[in-house]
Amino acid sequence: MLTRRQFNEALGIGAAGVAATSWIGARGREGGFLNAFEPTLEALDAGTICLASNENPMGPGKTVLDAIQKAFGPTGGAPGRYSSAGGDLTDAIAKKFNIKAENIVLGCGSTQILRSATHLFTERTKALVGTIPTYEECAGYADMMGNPVHGVPLDPNFKMDLDRMADAAKGAGLIFYCNPNNPTSTYVGARATREFLFKVRRTSPDTTVLVDEAYFDYVTDPDHETHIPLAIEDPHIIVARTFSKAYGMAGLRMGYCVGHPDTIRKMADWDAGTGTSSLNVLAMQAGVAAIQQDPSVITAERERNKAVREMTMKWFADRGMKPTESQANFVLVNIGRPAKAFREACAKQGVLVGRDFPPYEKTHCRLSFGTMAEMQKALTVFGDVLGKPATAAAA
Amino acid sequence: MAISRRGFFDAFGAAGRPALSGAVLAARGLEAHLATAWAQDPVQTGTSTGTGTGGGRQGGRGQRPQLPPGVEEIRINSNENPLGPGKVVLDAIVGKFPEANRYPFNSTPKDADLVAALAAKTKVKAENIVLGAGSQEILKNAMRAFVSPYRGLLTVAPTFENCTGFARKMKFPVTEIKVDSSFKLDVENLIATVRGAGLVYFNNPNNPTATVLGAKVVADFVERVRRISPDTVILIDEAYHDYVTDPTYETAIPLAMATPNVFVARTFSKAYGMAGMRIGYAVGQTDTIKPLARLQMPLNVSVLGIAAAVASTNDPKHIADECARNTEVRAFTVKALTDLGAKSTDSQANFIFVDIGRPAKEFRDACAKQGVMVGRDFPPFENSHCRISIGTMAEMQKATQVFRDVLHPMAPIANPSKGGGGFHDAGRAGGGI
Repeated sequence: MLTRRQFNEALGIGAAGVAATSWIGARGREGGFLNAFEPTLEALDAGTICLASNENPMGPGKTVLDAIQKAFGPTGGAPGRYSSAGGDLTDAIAKKFNIKAENIVLGCGSTQILRSATHLFTERTKALVGTIPTYEECAGYADMMGNPVHGVPLDPNFKMDLDRMADAAKGAGLIFYCNPNNPTSTYVGARATREFLFKVRRTSPDTTVLVDEAYFDYVTDPDHETHIPLAIEDPHIIVARTFSKAYGMAGLRMGYCVGHPDTIRKMADWDAGTGTSSLNVLAMQAGVAAIQQDPSVITAERERNKAVREMTMKWFADRGMKPTESQANFVLVNIGRPAKAFREACAKQGVLVGRDFPPYEKTHCRLSFGTMAEMQKALTVFGDVLGKPATAAAA
Repeated sequence: MAISRRGFFDAFGAAGRPALSGAVLAARGLEAHLATAWAQDPVQTGTSTGTGTGGGRQGGRGQRPQLPPGVEEIRINSNENPLGPGKVVLDAIVGKFPEANRYPFNSTPKDADLVAALAAKTKVKAENIVLGAGSQEILKNAMRAFVSPYRGLLTVAPTFENCTGFARKMKFPVTEIKVDSSFKLDVENLIATVRGAGLVYFNNPNNPTATVLGAKVVADFVERVRRISPDTVILIDEAYHDYVTDPTYETAIPLAMATPNVFVARTFSKAYGMAGMRIGYAVGQTDTIKPLARLQMPLNVSVLGIAAAVASTNDPKHIADECARNTEVRAFTVKALTDLGAKSTDSQANFIFVDIGRPAKEFRDACAKQGVMVGRDFPPFENSHCRISIGTMAEMQKATQVFRDVLHPMAPIANPSKGGGGFHDAGRAGGGI
């Protein structure tokens, strides 16, 4: 187990506190996140292929966009009103998972959920535990509050090392369990996750586990299920979900947390009033439409992503550049050179790829999946930049 | 009413007040569902769409009274802009549908572009601005950053109660200074009480009393607070800034930029007609607002919200037109109520605070039966005053008919014969329009 200081060093951050605000990341918040380290992405030009932020290139689809437009109201006055659509969205989510409204709290993206959980469950003496690397929102917020952060290295396959995680969990306040994990895209099966959760509950009963299922809908591994049923029974387990990924609504800012009513009440209470007031009406109406649409829409998105994923992973594997075993809409690839040089060279050719992810920034780059057409173009650029033209290497 | 420092902390400390109830708490205009969010018990305020949030109820379903067929509800209870943001903004939102899948740092415009637009508009630098998911995020984070169990909140009764509610929830001391006899912020009593406070909440124009203080008074207040209690932060909430017509008023942004520990909160929820979009911001010296920047929730404004806010910031004529419209309808409404003997305070906002000479609840319930939803209780004036937001002219023409019915079932709407009399007198007056 690394100390907080080692964790920070491993992340290349330096002394705790000094750069604290600069590493307050948000999910995929590449531009703002590392302002100190790299320039903000310029506004996307038409034709630019953005593979940098784990977004869904297809967007939310017509049904959802129609719902947004409908939310303008017959005279266009509705956005001028405070909205109570959160109740409808909560009900729609409850129906989808066959749970109750009291099991759900909404957030302005899952960012708000992650922040609330970190605020509530970490203390000066109760650390946040997460893998190195993982999505940084919780660690950044804990650090800002002056609460300790314990980073746990991944196993050699870039998967979460559950034994070490469970060790680190003892006495911790909150475990951030991001599965599939960002930026590694690796996935721990449902059975192993369940065993891990049970173990932590036994060995550290006061520790809360936040299971972040942001990329849930992209998983194709058959050993796959949501941990929402565990969460609604156990006050120490919560599940975070977002509309930003498979639902294609990263720009709308809507996420939610599912858990036991007592825990949900705490989460809602902490940000109460102001928590709800962070939710915009268009996102809430979009969320209702997205949840209620035919499930085949998400299935189709999963299949679309899978095809692009397989093509991309094969392309790199064929060229001796090992990708992680991706179960998400992105992959971490060993390109054998600093991500920065690769990123800058690709950007010159109109392809934006992921930022640095210490401690792997010297060897690995995270690539989000675009559309098949975007990815085919991007692979040509990658071949050019990496000195491995697609045609030659394919032979 | 000088209160010693000790008195400050004791006055309305955690132990000194009953548990929060929706009835005394307001969110900015979110009477129904946000006010109740503080309370555990859903359904509090008796207005339209209320439920709480604790334990999974965010927002709620309609609980409006059944109206006769053909009667449309007139919502003048939440200080909203009845027209919404306007076509330019709606077009900008639709124009960004292709970027609904992009994070706000990848969109065009992106979050930094909105900050730049606001900086240009308010004549400050980008580093002087912090975005909020509505100004409520700014207010909430100001409580977290500047108020503590040892340094309380100094605020006003009545005023926008978001800060009050949050401070009480956090068990921070709260002192409330009643408005003066003209329903304006009582600067002398605020100054007499300010020493040692963590933050002063200074809502100008003040919700719900609708009054404003002139620039000189505000500058003098700030200067004296700085002298007496230099560590106290002053939050000047200018949510209703655009609607002010009083020539002595000016924005306090230049004052904030020139003075440490002073910042201004603004919102797109009022004149800009975007309450549903959740966009606000703070302006002040970089050192002053740094804690707000640190606490700012990342990606707090949506891609569509950014596009909407940039479009409306670049369309000042639309805002000027909206304010002129409000001024006209406000004057009409004030006069109609004055003619009924119900006197309003000097409104400088998109709502009025009216002496209806009876409990607000009684009036509110009676109006609701006719489809007109007016403001909730605002202690300590809940037995005499009601807050009425300004709708469209057509809405207010209908609403004033209802007010007449409720206040004086027998009287016609206008009653100039008893100008200045209380509504009791007016009630006796028959006759002419």
